[in-house]
Amino acid sequence: MARQAEEEEEGGEFADFLADVSKEIAQRVESLDPTPKAAAEARKKTPIAGEERRKTPAVAEAGVIVEWPSIADRLIEEIR
Amino acid sequence: MSVVNYGTREITCKIVYYGPGRSGKTTNLQHVYSQLPEERKGKMVSLATETDRTLFFDFLPLDLGTISGFATRFQLYTVPGQVYYAATRKLVLQGVDGVVFVADSQSRQLAENIESLQDLHANLADEGFDPRTIPLVMQYNKRDLPAGEISAVEDLDETLNFRGVPHYGAAAINGKGVFETLRSISSLVLSRLSAPATKG
Repeated sequence: MARQAEEEEEGGEFADFLADVSKEIAQRVESLDPTPKAAAEARKKTPIAGEERRKTPAVAEAGVIVEWPSIADRLIEEIR
Repeated sequence: MSVVNYGTREITCKIVYYGPGRSGKTTNLQHVYSQLPEERKGKMVSLATETDRTLFFDFLPLDLGTISGFATRFQLYTVPGQVYYAATRKLVLQGVDGVVFVADSQSRQLAENIESLQDLHANLADEGFDPRTIPLVMQYNKRDLPAGEISAVEDLDETLNFRGVPHYGAAAINGKGVFETLRSISSLVLSRLSAPATKG
């Protein structure tokens, strides 16, 4: 019985270690993530985000429409 | 430096246990190995002489599974402590991400500790690492020996830990302080994880 408890406690050492490491890796991976998800997060913070973007398409300086409410909306628009 | 590889979804970190002969480096790895659940137990490679001294090095691959979508592996190595295996120690340090310096707390081993620490610094510098900044943790092992035979942790720290890095008392033979040390060096290594440089 005592041996079993001891073994469980010993097994817990690795489990605790793994839990700590997992937490740190999760934080680190998120902060370093170079994927579009991170870029999208950054884009959300631009002035054309949110409600304003839904009302009107954003127009870049060169006159090219760069943001539409959605691809489907754009297709419908063009079919018309 | 260890890298988060977003392409292959892998994280690999190499940690080396360094220190004088018979300070308990292999014992540290043996304790970690003994605590691994069966499904995670790979092979611990130990090349020892007939007298159980590490001849080449010990290698313990620690497969931590998939964490946040990344296959995560820690590779734990020891170096042979005896002075005449200098070339091996240098070889094992190649590509290291973090070092645990396992010091022998016995008062009569102080000179060996100092010599090994100097050897570590020289080899790190030779391998292109900055000994002043590489992740490092000090472990003062054999705290289970009689008080009259061992130096106080404060004294060891004053003599060996001039960088002021995290330090731990340990009795690796009983498993005491082993995971605390590993957790600490892992944390230091992970805090330096970087994304790979992008071409362009």
